[in-house]
Amino acid sequence: MIELGRQAILIALLIAAYSIVMALLGGWTRRRDFVASAENGALAVWGAVLVAATILLHALVTRDFSIEYVAAYSSSTLPLYYSIAALWGGQKGSLLFWALILTSFSAVVVLQNRHRHRELMPYVVATLMSIALFFLCLLFFITPPFETLAVPAREGRDLNPLLQNYWMTIHPPSLYLGFVGMSVPFAFAIAALATGKLDTTWIRTTRRWTLFAWFFLSLGNLFGALWAYEVLGWGGYWAWDPVENAAFMPWLTGTAFLHSVMVQEKKNMLKVWNMVLIIMTFSLTIFGTFLTRSGVISSVHSFTQSGLGPFFLGFLALILVVSISLLLLRLPMLRSEAELDSLLSRESTFLFNNLILVGIAFAVFWGTMFPVISEAVRGVKITVGPPFFNKVNAPLGLILLFLMGVGPVIAWRRASWAHLRRTFAAPVTTGLVAGAACFIGGIRNYWAIVSFSLIFFVLATIFVEFYRGVRARQAMVGDNFLRALVQLISRNRRRYGGYIVHIGIVMIFVAITGTSAFRIEKQVTLNVGEIFEIGGYELRYDGLEERDTLHIAYLMARLEVYENGNHVDTLLPEKRFYKKPEQPTTEVAIRSTLGSDLYLVLGSYDAETRMATILAYLNPLIGFLYWGGAVLTLGTFVVILPVGATAPAAAYTASPIEATETRVSSR
Amino acid sequence: MLALPSSVAVSVAVAEPSFRELEGSLTCQCGCGLTVQTCNHLQCPSAIPLRQEIRSEMALGKTKEVILDHFAEKYGEKILSSPTTTGFNLTAWVMPFLIVGLGTLFVLFTLLRWRKRTDLPSPTNTGATPPSGADMSEHKKTLERELENFES
Repeated sequence: MIELGRQAILIALLIAAYSIVMALLGGWTRRRDFVASAENGALAVWGAVLVAATILLHALVTRDFSIEYVAAYSSSTLPLYYSIAALWGGQKGSLLFWALILTSFSAVVVLQNRHRHRELMPYVVATLMSIALFFLCLLFFITPPFETLAVPAREGRDLNPLLQNYWMTIHPPSLYLGFVGMSVPFAFAIAALATGKLDTTWIRTTRRWTLFAWFFLSLGNLFGALWAYEVLGWGGYWAWDPVENAAFMPWLTGTAFLHSVMVQEKKNMLKVWNMVLIIMTFSLTIFGTFLTRSGVISSVHSFTQSGLGPFFLGFLALILVVSISLLLLRLPMLRSEAELDSLLSRESTFLFNNLILVGIAFAVFWGTMFPVISEAVRGVKITVGPPFFNKVNAPLGLILLFLMGVGPVIAWRRASWAHLRRTFAAPVTTGLVAGAACFIGGIRNYWAIVSFSLIFFVLATIFVEFYRGVRARQAMVGDNFLRALVQLISRNRRRYGGYIVHIGIVMIFVAITGTSAFRIEKQVTLNVGEIFEIGGYELRYDGLEERDTLHIAYLMARLEVYENGNHVDTLLPEKRFYKKPEQPTTEVAIRSTLGSDLYLVLGSYDAETRMATILAYLNPLIGFLYWGGAVLTLGTFVVILPVGATAPAAAYTASPIEATETRVSSR
Repeated sequence: MLALPSSVAVSVAVAEPSFRELEGSLTCQCGCGLTVQTCNHLQCPSAIPLRQEIRSEMALGKTKEVILDHFAEKYGEKILSSPTTTGFNLTAWVMPFLIVGLGTLFVLFTLLRWRKRTDLPSPTNTGATPPSGADMSEHKKTLERELENFES
C-alpha cells in the first residue's frame, strides 16, 4: 500500500507534466485531440492524487506507525476524527491535501467546460496543472508523505495538542478550499491573457468559483479566529499573527476583486485592474503559504515551519514573472475606453472601496514584513504587534464600513443630488441618532461611537433597499410582505444575497467594536468558597476537580455562576495534560449569551491548598462574530446556489440602468 | 444576591490603565507572539517577570515613555510591541497611509480623466445632423428624470 501511495504521487507528477505540454501544444497548434488528452490527463492526475491521499488517510485511521508521518502526527489513543484531521495536521499531509483539493477542482473545471470555452481551456489546464506539478514535485522530491521508518514505531507521537480541537476538523479545510479555490479564476485570467480573449468571459465563467473561494476564505479566517479564541486563552480572537495575516491578505484583495469585476461586467471598465487583483490574490495565497512554512517570521503556527520556504518563494517569483509578463504583453488590448459620467456613481465608489481594501492589505503586508525589512536595513530586530495593526487598520476599516453603506445603493453612471438625498437621508439620520444614543448612553470611546454610527448607517441603507423592493413588488403583484420579500430575493439573488453578506460583515464589525472597546478583564486568586464579581456576574470558586483518561488528564476549577442572585451556569476552565507529547494546555470555559461572553481561564493553581488563579474576561457582543459568520454564509448561499432561475432584468428588481444597458448592448 | 461566604475573595484587579497600557506595549519573549498583557502561559518565564518589572518601574514614578525606553535599552527594541515613531521606524507608520493617500490621488486623477473623455463629443455623432442644443438638453433632462424615477 505504501509503495502504491508513493507511485501514485510519481504517476500524478508525470501526468501533470504531460498535461502541461499537451495543453500548451494543443493551444498553440489548435489541435483539439491534444487538448482533450491534456484534459484527460488532468482527470488522471486527480485520480492518482486521490489514491495517494486515500492511502495516507487509511494509514492514519489504521495507525500504521511504520509510516513516519503517521507516527509523527497520530497515536493509538487519538480519537478517530483527529486521526482524519491529522491528514492536514503536518507538513507532508497538508501538502498532499492541498494537491488533492487542487486536482479535484481541476477535474471539476475540465468536466464543466468539456464543450465550453474551448479557446481558453488549454491554458486553464496548463496553469492548473503547473500549480499541481509544483506541489507534486514537493511531495515526491522534498517532503514525501510515505517515508517509512527503519523500525516501525510502537506508538505515535500524537497530534499537537493545540490542534486537538474540533475547529481543527473544519478550519484548515475551509482555508485550503479558499486558498486553492482562487487558483481557478487565476487560471482563467492567465488563459484570457494568453489567448487575448479579454472580454468578460473569464470573469463570468469564474464568478461562482471566485465566490466559492472567497466564502471559504472568509469562513477559514473566521474559524481560525474562533479557534484562537477558544484555545489560546488570552480572551481575544485575532492577534495579527503573521499566519493570520497571511490568510487575511488574500481575503482582502479577493473581496476587492469580487467588487471590481462587477464594474467590468456592467461598464467594461477596470480590465487591467481586475487582472492585477486576481494575480495579487493568487500570489498572496502562495505568499501566505510561504510565510507559514518558511519560519521567516515567528508565529504561533510554528508547528508548520520547515525548509520549504525557498521553494515557495521561487514558485511565487515564477508566478509573478509569468503573470506580469503576460499582463504587460496584453496591456494595449486591456486598456478600455473607459468613460465616466460622474464622480458620484457606483463605479467611483467601488474604485474607492477597492483602494481601501488593497490599502488595508498593504498595511497588513507592510506590518508583517517590517521586522524583516528593519533587520535588513538597520540590522535591528523589532516587533510589529497588535497595537500597530489596530492603530493603522482601525481608520481604514471605518472608511471601508462607510463605503459599504454607500457603494451598493448609489446609482450606476450618475447619482444626482436628489437621488443621494432620497437614498441616504434616512440612513444618515439613523447613523447620527445611533451615535448620539451611544454618547447619551455614556460611551466615551469615540472610535466605538463612530463605528456604531456607521454600522447603523449601513444597516439602514440595506433595510431601505429591502423595504423599497418589497413595497414595489407588493404594489405590482399584490403579494403579502413575506412572499414579496422571498420573491424579491429569489429574482435578484446576486444583489440581495450581496446585501445579506454585507449584513454578516456588519455583524462582524459589531463584534470587533464591542470586544475592542468594552472588554472587561480581571485576575483573581481564590480560596475554595470565595467569590468574585465581573460585569454583573458573581462567581463562586468551588475547588479543583480531576479526571483521567488514557489520552488526557484533566484538572478543572469549578466555578458556579450567578446573575442577580440566580444560579445560571457552572463553568469548568481546565488544564489538560496530553500524555503522549507530555504537554499541558489551557482549555477555557465560556458562557455565551447574545450580549456577551463570560470567558474564564485557569491561570495557575496550588494542588495542596487548592487555591486557583482565574483570569476572567467579559467580551461584549462577541456573539455577533458567530452570527455574522452564519449570516454571511446564508447570503453567499443565496448568491451562489443555482436554485430556481434568476429572473431577467425586470424593471423593479434589477437596476433599471442595468436593464437599459442590457437592451442597448443586445442590439 | 449570592450569599457571601465568611471569607472574601482576594481580588487582584489589573485594571489600572497605565499598567495595562504598558503591558500592551511590550511583547512577551516566551515565543507566544502575544503582548505581555495577553500572554497567559502558565508560569510564563517572560511575562511574569516583565509584569513585576513594569510594577517596579511604575513605583518609581516614571512616565510611560521613560519606562518603555528602559525596557528597549535593557532587552532591545524587539521587546516593544509596536515600532517607535522615530527614524526608519517611522516608515512603518507612514507607508500605509501614504500608499492610500497616493492611491486616492491616482483614483481621483483616473476618474477625472475618464470623465473628461466622456465629455468629449462622440466621433460617431459627426456624420449625423446634430440636434439643436436646446433639444439635446431637453432630451437629456427627460432621460435623466425618467431613469431616476425608474430606479427608485
